[in-house]
Amino acid sequence: MTQFFNYAVPGIPFGCVFALMAVGLVLTYKASGVFNLAFGAQAFVSALAYVSLIEDGWPRWAAGVLAVFVLGPVVGVLLDRLLFRRIRTASPLVKLVPSLGLLVALPQLALIIAGSTPDIPPPALFVNAQRVYLHLGSVPLSGLELSITGSTVLVVAVLVALFRFTPVGLEMRAVVESPRMTELAGVNAGRISAFAWILSSVMAALAGVLLAPLYSQLDPQNFTVLLVWGIAGAVIGRFSSLPLALLGGLFLGVAQQIVAGYLPAGIIATGLRPSLPFVVLLIFLPFTRQRQFDDPLAGCDPPSATVETETLGYRSATTLAGAGEDDVHAVGLWHRRLGLEGPDAWWYRFVRRPTSTLAWVLAALAVLSALTWVPADWLLTMTQGIAFGVIFLSLTVLTGMSGQISLCQATFAGLGGFAAGQLADHFGLPVVIGMVAGGLLAAALGVIVAVPTLRLAGLPLALATLAFALLADNILFPNSWVGNGASGVIVPRPSAGPVNLSASKPFFLLSLAILSVTAGIVKLIGDGTMGRFLAAMRGSELAASSVGIDVYRLRVVVFAISAGLAGVGGALFGSLEGSLSPTDFNYQISTVLLVVVAIVGLGSISGAVVAGLVYTTLQVAVTTLPSRYAGLVAVLFGLATLSYTRHPEGFLDYLGNRTLTFIARNGAMSRLMGRSGTGGRGQPPRNEGAGNPDGDVLVPTPAPGGAT
Amino acid sequence: MPSPLPSWPSLLVATGISKQFGGIQALSELSFEVGRGEAVGIVGPNGAGKTTLFNCLLGLETPDTGSVVFDGVRIDRLPVWKRSRLGIGRTYQRMELFRGMTVADHLLVSEQASSGTFRFWRDFLNRGGPTPGELHHVQEVLDLLGLEAMADRPVDGLDLGHARLVELGRAMMGAPKLLMLDEPSSGLDAGETARLSTVLASLRSARTTAVVLVEHDLQLVESAVDRLCVLNFGRMLASGRVDEVLADTEVRRAYLGAGG
Repeated sequence: MTQFFNYAVPGIPFGCVFALMAVGLVLTYKASGVFNLAFGAQAFVSALAYVSLIEDGWPRWAAGVLAVFVLGPVVGVLLDRLLFRRIRTASPLVKLVPSLGLLVALPQLALIIAGSTPDIPPPALFVNAQRVYLHLGSVPLSGLELSITGSTVLVVAVLVALFRFTPVGLEMRAVVESPRMTELAGVNAGRISAFAWILSSVMAALAGVLLAPLYSQLDPQNFTVLLVWGIAGAVIGRFSSLPLALLGGLFLGVAQQIVAGYLPAGIIATGLRPSLPFVVLLIFLPFTRQRQFDDPLAGCDPPSATVETETLGYRSATTLAGAGEDDVHAVGLWHRRLGLEGPDAWWYRFVRRPTSTLAWVLAALAVLSALTWVPADWLLTMTQGIAFGVIFLSLTVLTGMSGQISLCQATFAGLGGFAAGQLADHFGLPVVIGMVAGGLLAAALGVIVAVPTLRLAGLPLALATLAFALLADNILFPNSWVGNGASGVIVPRPSAGPVNLSASKPFFLLSLAILSVTAGIVKLIGDGTMGRFLAAMRGSELAASSVGIDVYRLRVVVFAISAGLAGVGGALFGSLEGSLSPTDFNYQISTVLLVVVAIVGLGSISGAVVAGLVYTTLQVAVTTLPSRYAGLVAVLFGLATLSYTRHPEGFLDYLGNRTLTFIARNGAMSRLMGRSGTGGRGQPPRNEGAGNPDGDVLVPTPAPGGAT
Repeated sequence: MPSPLPSWPSLLVATGISKQFGGIQALSELSFEVGRGEAVGIVGPNGAGKTTLFNCLLGLETPDTGSVVFDGVRIDRLPVWKRSRLGIGRTYQRMELFRGMTVADHLLVSEQASSGTFRFWRDFLNRGGPTPGELHHVQEVLDLLGLEAMADRPVDGLDLGHARLVELGRAMMGAPKLLMLDEPSSGLDAGETARLSTVLASLRSARTTAVVLVEHDLQLVESAVDRLCVLNFGRMLASGRVDEVLADTEVRRAYLGAGG
């Protein structure tokens, strides 16, 4: 018992910080409908400001006050005003991507502004961090631990007083219960929501400042790890109960210390500790009712006009090519055969299809000609882009076609790469076969992820996969037989047989071939029956199963396919680089992958390819800048999420639709299609500037499901 | 009920279904039967257990007790999609359409799913084009429901009346033996209700598909069903010919609020 006590007490300060995070997350989730993953970034930004100011000679209390009570709320209110308020009724993906983008971008932006990471170890807020002030039993309590616990108790006391005794607290409690009802009762929910954001941001900032002394140097990654603990606490609080979230955070802090204390040292103990959030998520998520996750405002709000053109998911190239201005939503093309227009119409057969084929041939020629005129280092970048294109294709299938959100795609890619390298190393297997094997192994891992998460969708699925990625980073990849820890795994270039593919140009061709094959598979899936089933599942799992689709099996299959594609891409990337280490594909890369491909376009194969090329090109371009701007790519994509909320179909489709609309409006297409001018079927006049890129859904009518 | 009803060979037999949510007995020892080609209406006040009965029959809820036999097969342990493939189609009170898909695609997906062939590998050969037979069925249902003109439109922009018809059409694909419609007329205006009524009448006269209709609109129910059941507090209050059931004093007290 004494031992238990000795393990448990040091966990309390951790628990306090987790609890602060969990409460802050629940507060904004309930008040604004957005699960604020940027919370970890907010904590980092304040911590960075705090330490930087002290480095500049500010007194600690002044730096603390500025970082927690000025900078924190300012960032929070800005996030609310600029971004989160606009997407409160959007789909889970549209809500998730911006906060993920900001999670990565905000710290980098702060680092660019600050110039560099402060050199001094972060000091504690009030007291001497290291000095032991008192003993609880035989457990020494340092100033740091005391200040963390004391501050948390203070915050909780203030919160309780606020909620209990003040009018704004009462209103906030009401908003948390039912935002719309509260608004109908005459309360300005927007003001209350802003207030919730201020409170939550203060908590984020406080958590950041309090925790900073735990680390010898400030690193955004540490704060993301903390965030995952906070998420687990929020899940224990079922995303809705503030007291439960508080207790959940405390419990996790104590539990992780106990787990670490009792288990023998080694990879299990060091690995089990970070995997606790995943276990908690898997245990608690299924018990929370799915519907309340989808939208805490469900049934109250009509879809907002700006996000009326939701992520439309994958559409085949033929659909895009054949789609007129008011048909870009179509999945598959076959049904146009029912009418006069369509693939059998003369204009399509003699104009559209050859044009489209010609475009592909020209593109292929252009790419091949790159072999002759592109400098060698850029050829390397392009090859990297192709490898990432294959990885992005895995998200085209999973998120674009079937609507599932995964934050562990990099884990699949990493496993594929490691498998290829290990097989080549231990069994002398040719790398190309190793790539296939890596893909298959990754597919198996995909099944392992899919089965326990079958009942989750949207945000809970994303969180569970994020926790899984973290778990894999901690207990799978450090093993010598997988990722071999920090030293990584050597993945040779293929050189088997008479053809030597290891030089950069042949390897480029090999990558291109692999991309073609994988893209072909994705296209066949998307255009076929399976694509239609996936689209149905994306639309409504409930209805899909009630028309006879085995949704669970379909989900396992699509996870396996997606993970397999990611594995092949990861193996290709590893082979290109020559070696692969776990940091190449950690959980943070997973979040970046989703953000990048969502911004460029989840709706098409070209979206994935362009995303790969843009991503790697930007990364290379940034290396030419001073080292201060190393995080610029993350910042760019993070800021791009601001426009993503207006155009969730992705940048590429947005451009494509614009072009189609332009052609159609200028009459050329219309005449070919035998239509008159704009608005083919008597639709109301289009309405520019309402965030309606293709003018499809012109009247922001509530979705049919919304009215009962 | 001592009314002479035509006897139908039984299609769906549910016996002794009970379902409890916390302290609320949503269904208690309810037995319910549908004959082949029969049209049955279910009415009852809100909270009577109509939707729970639907969910228990269709597999969205697992009943605490009781058995469900459909077409000679015991289905109460089967997942939703298997029951659907046996030949049960349904619509939802709160619409469940596939966002972003066109009207025709809704029907095609349902047709392909109900035939049970996953066709993953065949997709790689014929590029997933639907067979002429499937297209023909889609066209038939589009014609029947008058949705022909909007076959290529995505459902997101449809008005509620057409959206409900799309749901009905989706449930009708794959020639189901039983259609279960959960308040199909809620939210419809008079004209849309009339169109729905026409469709239901044609279904009834064809006698190939049994229909279970949960509905508050008594006029619609009266014209569309052979038999009417009244649920109240999870129990079957009455069952029989429409006019007789509606004349029943207990029914009037429970449902219509008339003082008996």
